[in-house]
Amino acid sequence: MLNATILSYITFFYFAAFLFYLLMLIMHRKAPGLIATGISAAGLIGHTFAIALRWFESYRMGIGHAPFSNLYESLIFFSWMIMFLYLLVEWRTRNRTLGAFATPLAFLAMAYASFSPGINSQIQPLIPALKSNWLISHVITCFVGYAAFGLSFGLSLMYLMKKRSEAGSPRRITRLLPSTGMLDELNYQMVVIGFLMLTLGIITGSVWAHSAWGSYWSWDPKETWSLITWLVYAAVLHSRLVRGWRGKKIAVLCLVGFACVLFTYFGVNYLAGLHSYAKS
Amino acid sequence: MAQTTSRTPPDTKVHFLWRFFSSVKLTIALLIILAITSIAGTLIPQQQEALKFARELSPWVFRLFAALDLFDMYHAFWFRIFLGALTVNLLVCSIDRFPTAWGRFRAQPSPEREQPFENLPEEQAFLVEGNPGDLPGRIEALLRSRYKRVHAAKDETRSSWHAEKGRYAHFGVYLVHLSVFLILVGGLIGSFLGFQGFVNIVEGETIDEIAVRNRMETMPLGFEVRCDRFVVEFYESGAPKEYRSDLTFLVDGEVAAERAIRVNHPTEFEGVTFYQSSYGSTPGRRVHLHLMRAGDPPATTPVDAEIQGPAVELPGKEGVFRVLDANPNMMGVMGPAVLIGVKPHDGDEMQFWVFQNVGAVQERFPGIFGHNPRLNPAAFEPYTFVLTQLESRYYTGLQVNRDPGVPLVWAGCFMMVAGFIVTFFMSHRHIWVRLDRIENGANRVRIAGRSSKNPVGLERELERLTGDLNRLLNDRND
Repeated sequence: MLNATILSYITFFYFAAFLFYLLMLIMHRKAPGLIATGISAAGLIGHTFAIALRWFESYRMGIGHAPFSNLYESLIFFSWMIMFLYLLVEWRTRNRTLGAFATPLAFLAMAYASFSPGINSQIQPLIPALKSNWLISHVITCFVGYAAFGLSFGLSLMYLMKKRSEAGSPRRITRLLPSTGMLDELNYQMVVIGFLMLTLGIITGSVWAHSAWGSYWSWDPKETWSLITWLVYAAVLHSRLVRGWRGKKIAVLCLVGFACVLFTYFGVNYLAGLHSYAKS
Repeated sequence: MAQTTSRTPPDTKVHFLWRFFSSVKLTIALLIILAITSIAGTLIPQQQEALKFARELSPWVFRLFAALDLFDMYHAFWFRIFLGALTVNLLVCSIDRFPTAWGRFRAQPSPEREQPFENLPEEQAFLVEGNPGDLPGRIEALLRSRYKRVHAAKDETRSSWHAEKGRYAHFGVYLVHLSVFLILVGGLIGSFLGFQGFVNIVEGETIDEIAVRNRMETMPLGFEVRCDRFVVEFYESGAPKEYRSDLTFLVDGEVAAERAIRVNHPTEFEGVTFYQSSYGSTPGRRVHLHLMRAGDPPATTPVDAEIQGPAVELPGKEGVFRVLDANPNMMGVMGPAVLIGVKPHDGDEMQFWVFQNVGAVQERFPGIFGHNPRLNPAAFEPYTFVLTQLESRYYTGLQVNRDPGVPLVWAGCFMMVAGFIVTFFMSHRHIWVRLDRIENGANRVRIAGRSSKNPVGLERELERLTGDLNRLLNDRND
């Protein structure tokens, strides 16, 4: 199908963008950064088009539904959301360095979706449990949250690199990174967005589960892991706002938080549960 | 939400308990315990799935797991104790710290405070030439148009104002904590006053009680439910497309409501909600048979019978037969079969099973029909019985719940999102403006501020306010 072909090409756009962002960090030149932004934006436009096309194609097949129904479609949307959110941050902060940390996430998600033999890129009809108006709001809120946590992961890595380089051995590659104070503040903002969206994702999921399975909370592994993730980020926010933690401790907690996000997303597929349609 | 000191209550017996439950360390410990035990719960198969897993454990591990309720830990007593402790902790913490927030909410900082103006950046001050005239009035008018609460203080050489907005931002965090409390209470109400049950209804049949989940008991509903029809549709690929049950609710035998339910579209009747959950098929009552009579000429007669229905006369009037029992899949591999009982006019009744897929069974178990008279369809001469169809009926599997805690949970969710928006995106901002008469006949205007959070936003606001005041007072329109 055309949309899947386009999407597999977008993978290379994001990989190229990553290389140019990296080049910018190494060379300290503006030009590779500009090229990287251009490639990223072009990739995002093509990506948006392909998702819209997939949506359209599903209607032409007579099984029309929003393209958020299985692992392939969720990976595609995860990657889209990361790039969208990243370019928004780049535009707001006028700093491109986060690109070198965000594009690999988008690239890996696309590559996994397009080239893993276990993942089916066909448009499949919706099973009865997924036929709900809550599908779109649940998936969008969850993935805005995941993407924001993804960027927070990148910012935390940047913070730790910058801090080490400030502490002792100044390294060339960290020179273009924003100050640790700004990284910390930006990271906090990403966690706030992610936390709010994850909360909305859990709530929309509960409302949906209540109408589909008769229970708003069933302690299914994906539900439980989303709660664990929520608790970790709640701890990040409390330690910052109540205990006044800043910097390194927050950055390390955010790395733990993102590990939980990844487990909620992929890890629970290896455990039995109600979210089985998100596996393939 | 900045750092606050704990208010120490009077030295009573409550003292140490209050201190214990108002500690953030307890919160962190409880959150870690809940996180770790929840993780364990996702790794150890729970409830139904636990059976298979439990068989692989050595006996003493099994006894340990069972004693600790690890196969249903989210409903275990100790897990609820931790949840309850977290609830108390949340409440006590919030009550303990509330006076500080209330103080900040009520506080009325003096317009004449000096401290905000220390180290004031140059760009937050400007001069206005000439007599003060109506300068104070114009400044105050502008402040009043932007801020709800403006307080002024004036003496001969100086006018001071304090303006603020977003006082309610201090309560955002209490809204969030209250929402978590509501959700937990809603969950507890649901688990104590509600129930989760399950019932299968065969098409055309009526039930008036359900099986309660995780308890080996049934519960009367107080009304009756009939399944008129169950429909399952499939896509071309064979994947299920839609499950639908047409239900009729009866009270005292009278039809009270007729509703169709689908997955994601449950229905509620007298406070009990019915969800489409599963389905299956069960042997129907009608059986289609062919009776082959050997002789000259041989004859084949189609006969319909009902399971445990009235006796049917044999075509040659040698006697009667009945269908005594049916099995949709004999021994799990032999396909549909019915138990036939033939009663000749003179003699005893004989019983034998008649299969539908005779050829397939014979191929798999050669000679089976000859060796065992109970399985021989030609046992009653001169007839051979052939099962052509065993009608099956669908049954619909319904999840049947009542959860009076749900409205509270939804209210909590709504409140939580509102609380987050207040907590994260609103801040309490104080603005101080000061107008001084200085020696060379000019007036100096200074603007300072303080914010509970979002310093960048405050900076932007101060910059805008300074620019607007400067333009207003210096009558510049650029």
